[in-house]
Amino acid sequence: MPLLESGVLAADPWRPAAEDEPIGAGDVIVPLARLDEGLARSDPGRLGVLLPPEAEPSALRAALPGLSLIAVTFPIFRDGRAFTQARTLREHLGFTGEIRATGKPLPDQYEFLRRCGVTTVEVPEGTDPAPWAREHARFDVAYQPSILNETREGFALRRIPG
Amino acid sequence: MDVRSNRREQGGSSAITANRLLDGRTVWLGAHGWSEQIAEARVIANTDIEAAIEDARARAAADSVMAIYGVQLLPDTATPEPLTMRERIRAFGPSVHPAFAISPQEGQRHE
Amino acid sequence: MSDTATRPLPVGHYTYDQVDHDFLRARVEQFRDQVARRISGELSEDEFKPLRLMNGLYHQLHAYMLRVAVPYGTMDARQVRMLAHIARTYDRDYGHFTTRQNIQFNWIRLEDTPEILEQLASVEMHAIQTSGNCIRNVTSDEFAGAAADELVDPRVHAEILRQWSTLHPEFTFLPRKFKIAISGSPHDRVAARFHDIGVVAKPGPDGAVRFEVFVGGGMGRTPIVGVRIHDHLPEEDLLAYLEAILRVYNAYGRRDNIYKARIKILVQALGLDAFREKVEAEFAAMDRARYRLTPETVAAIRARFGTPDLIAPADAPAKLAADRAANPHFDRWARTNTHPHRAPGFICVAVSVKPAGGIPGDATSHQIDALADIAERFSFDELRVTHMQNIVFGHVRQDELLALWHALGEAGLATPNLGLIGDIIACPGLDYCALANARSIPIAQKISARFADPTLQEQIGRIHVNISGCINACGHHHAGHIGILGVDKKGEEFFQITLGGSAEDDAAIGQIIGPALPEDATVDAVARLIETYLTLRQEGERFLDTYRRLGQAPFKDSVYATA
Ligand code: SF4
Repeated sequence: MPLLESGVLAADPWRPAAEDEPIGAGDVIVPLARLDEGLARSDPGRLGVLLPPEAEPSALRAALPGLSLIAVTFPIFRDGRAFTQARTLREHLGFTGEIRATGKPLPDQYEFLRRCGVTTVEVPEGTDPAPWAREHARFDVAYQPSILNETREGFALRRIPG
Repeated sequence: MDVRSNRREQGGSSAITANRLLDGRTVWLGAHGWSEQIAEARVIANTDIEAAIEDARARAAADSVMAIYGVQLLPDTATPEPLTMRERIRAFGPSVHPAFAISPQEGQRHE
Repeated sequence: MSDTATRPLPVGHYTYDQVDHDFLRARVEQFRDQVARRISGELSEDEFKPLRLMNGLYHQLHAYMLRVAVPYGTMDARQVRMLAHIARTYDRDYGHFTTRQNIQFNWIRLEDTPEILEQLASVEMHAIQTSGNCIRNVTSDEFAGAAADELVDPRVHAEILRQWSTLHPEFTFLPRKFKIAISGSPHDRVAARFHDIGVVAKPGPDGAVRFEVFVGGGMGRTPIVGVRIHDHLPEEDLLAYLEAILRVYNAYGRRDNIYKARIKILVQALGLDAFREKVEAEFAAMDRARYRLTPETVAAIRARFGTPDLIAPADAPAKLAADRAANPHFDRWARTNTHPHRAPGFICVAVSVKPAGGIPGDATSHQIDALADIAERFSFDELRVTHMQNIVFGHVRQDELLALWHALGEAGLATPNLGLIGDIIACPGLDYCALANARSIPIAQKISARFADPTLQEQIGRIHVNISGCINACGHHHAGHIGILGVDKKGEEFFQITLGGSAEDDAAIGQIIGPALPEDATVDAVARLIETYLTLRQEGERFLDTYRRLGQAPFKDSVYATA
């Protein structure tokens, strides 16, 4: 599926692990249940994992050094648990790899995603990136600190998003 | 739309209602399309109502209306009058603002 | 900032600078874009609904309803006049003040909303986060900045929380809505224990202010009195601690059942200790420096608030005393509708928007304009909307109170019933609300008409009557000394009576006294409850005190023995 990064479409070098098959070589995203198998893989390639909304990010703590990507998910756009998961991965667990949003997020949530630490968004085939780009550029100010550590603006809590 | 407090019964007849997309106002399906006046509503036997609602829903986007459903009517009134208080308020306006009421008899808004 | 040179900062609320204006303008453009996409058919109603709700646009029984935020309830005259203008131009000439210090317009057209929001933005107002599963408008004390027992002006902290919560990246898609109230004095006038988070200022050991934090209170289907999660939070940790609470809620709050999704259910399910442990763990792990609320930040926000020059003539109290002695009607009103002010020669005025037989909280554009005029003339250009659906003028000179009373009288706003039985809180109910079971307004009108006599009202004394049209409890019936809840019995409107609730320091949830009654029987029942109280009360007792002393039995008997 296509990816959005910084408001523009990008190629996706990752593939999901195929069910009932060995993980194989390359950049592969495994379900949480196959994390140990992924970490033990001897084939070359980077490893990603899909963190379901009900899972604790801290469950990945020991695995983090072996992970290049963590995918969080929005079963429906109103289910905002992934925001806290992404922010926890960055702030508490110090994860610096790619955090990808999957499922059904809206363009209107794009800046929220980014400010919680999400770097890429998986969007359906044929998605028009324009609304995403528009929302990315919508606001010149944010009213609270975020894990992006944006530059402070003027007084109080305001930040200039990058 | 939450249609709580709107009950439809087995027998009798109903009218079809919706809200207009642009201004949100309550409208009733009549012989010549959607009308603000329940007096102009088509009275449909409950045996046929589900099919009629389906038809109306299929045209909702083209008609610029939303939240389409059926409303049970009182039997034997001169012009259609809903059974439940909720739908009476939708049809005739808030009971506490006589100035905005639509009387069942005249079907006119007193504004 | 650029705009401050030309005019003094408005008293009582934060003043926008260019950055804030630009933000609001961008937000209006975003909504204009969304409305255009809806009207063109690009967005379905299902897709559009959450977007319009984020801008306070509901669909109610008769039309769209727009809920405009009044941050911490405070406005200047220019903002108030804008509300009157909107009522006149885009609505049917009136607005409705809500129990969350907001104002609602009931007859709005979708097409007009971008224009309305643009006009609101020109006076630093908006409808952001007045709906949806996000942090809602932060409410505070209506006597803020004026009350004698105040430790801090809570509006500065409410403004900090407003900014912090505005488009908060992590907390805009919570399991359910989230309401915060903050009181600047230890005496809780904001119903802190009935909010998702209630913050109450208290004196700290070193003279610095500390905050008591309550969590998990609320009304609705499962009324719960909030519990104290922190006893003495330092100001600098206010944001960090609230972040921690919200993170725990966002991660663990239920999302499978809308009726169990509020934070109160999570706190109950985990138990306070386990919930607090999670919050403390998050608080300990987070980058506290990032969220620290420094004294400089607080000072910077406070500096954007205008402050009144509270200088009254030395003889102001004497003039007021003489005016009161000369006019018994004025004296009665002054007795019920004022509150002491911290500055000598000043007084706070509470205006009842509830004339006998009227609709609680409804004001015409003419009345709204009159309120703006009075604010300008008598109260430093500032007024407040209260959670009792009334209006407060915060800083009135005592020697000018009589003139203010006359001005109120001309606008039909001098009803002397504040805190009395005519001062009923009622939600819009079935006359407007799509979720209602029964109408709340007619019953409020009948009760207030029955007890219209001001002398009788004063005899009855302080009492809160609260009416909700359904279990969502927007009329806070659980917290009423007498609570009335509309229920649906086979398509007919019935009303359940509860007694003994309170939203103040003695917070409690009212208890149901028996089977639901039809409308008129409910009004009769209230009359009999009052008679019973008048017969049984001891010297100095409020209705609530007598009820608590004697229990339900005599009251229940009075309603059902003859019913
Ligand atoms: S309590 Fe019920 S009827 Fe009243 S405003 Fe709230 S949702 Fe509507």
